[in-house]
Amino acid sequence: MTTRDIVLVALFAAIIVVLGLLPPITLGFIPVPITAQSLGVMLAGCILGAKRGAAAVLLVLLLVAIGLPVLSGGRGGLAVFAGPTAGYLVGWVFGAFVCGLIAERLVKEEQGELTQFLAFLAAAVVGGIAVVYLFGVPWLAYMSGKAFFETALAGLVFVPGDLIKAFVAMLAGRAVLAGYPLLPQRA
Amino acid sequence: MLNGLDIEGDSLLHRMPVRGKLIALFVAAIGLFLTAELRLLVPALVLSAALYLSTGIGAGEAFRRVRFVLFTVLLVAGANYLFHSLHEALAVFCRLSTLVLLAAAVTATTGISAFMDEITRLLTPLERFGFVRAADVSLAVGLVIRFVPEIFARYGEIADAHKARGLPVRPLTTLVPLIILTLKDADTIAMAIDARGFRRH
Repeated sequence: MTTRDIVLVALFAAIIVVLGLLPPITLGFIPVPITAQSLGVMLAGCILGAKRGAAAVLLVLLLVAIGLPVLSGGRGGLAVFAGPTAGYLVGWVFGAFVCGLIAERLVKEEQGELTQFLAFLAAAVVGGIAVVYLFGVPWLAYMSGKAFFETALAGLVFVPGDLIKAFVAMLAGRAVLAGYPLLPQRA
Repeated sequence: MLNGLDIEGDSLLHRMPVRGKLIALFVAAIGLFLTAELRLLVPALVLSAALYLSTGIGAGEAFRRVRFVLFTVLLVAGANYLFHSLHEALAVFCRLSTLVLLAAAVTATTGISAFMDEITRLLTPLERFGFVRAADVSLAVGLVIRFVPEIFARYGEIADAHKARGLPVRPLTTLVPLIILTLKDADTIAMAIDARGFRRH
């Protein structure tokens, strides 16, 4: 990684932290409030690509681990990793990586607008949702002992909110690609 | 804006080395998952709560820090009670709460720089394989702490600009300028770092 890559990773990690400071939005038709922070995970992959995106998310988790309250709602410290939902946080790193991998492969600057939108949406849904749940749900199930099936099912209430975030990540990913392209030059 | 969660003090945990605390936490986590015996888990929970409070953190602040994680623990325990048995619910609740309180106790007694030093030491063996450079990780952590207040202020400016033009503050219209304006600084910051020779090889 060049110095510029390290700076980009750090700046994006700072953006993810700032997204956690913004108040959560409640939408009428979804039972849980939406925080912008997991949107940052999809954006990291869509904007910085696989390696730098995953590094930015990993950096945020490092800040959490050393005791800075940088997760949404001022959460932080090792206790977050001891809770039943820690799998989602671990999934963030791999999610950003897969999201970046798909965006790097599918998105080309000379493509039409619609193709780029679809590619970013695929990256955000597969990386930012599917991969994150792939880590989060089994972890939650393991931590919940015998009621693993029921708790895993309950974890799915977040899917509608995450789909909205994937949509926002798609729009924002393309807008940033048009305004300040970073995705084509991979780290 | 970004202050650590460590509490000043001179308790037993404060004096323990960081690596010792982390290893103890890891061993405790494995041990807790090996047993479902309430005669062991309940005393463990009481002990961990006592340990957490012995760090000199006030009861209110102590609860405020772990309430969200404890809430998720309570949900999981509730599911166990509904679909299985009370014994199972109590075991899950004691096991997970003990772990959360122990982890919170480690965080409350470990300063950020002490923790960062330990991370740097743990990363040094990885340097030999060319994976990551420990100095780069510390540099990146420093940069984040330096730039979070600035980016937060920039978000406020963008939101104000929206209001001045009578536009609603929507996530999408604020996010894109925030990201582009922030990442555009990367070149100048990288040049400043290289000009000062921070990353000598």
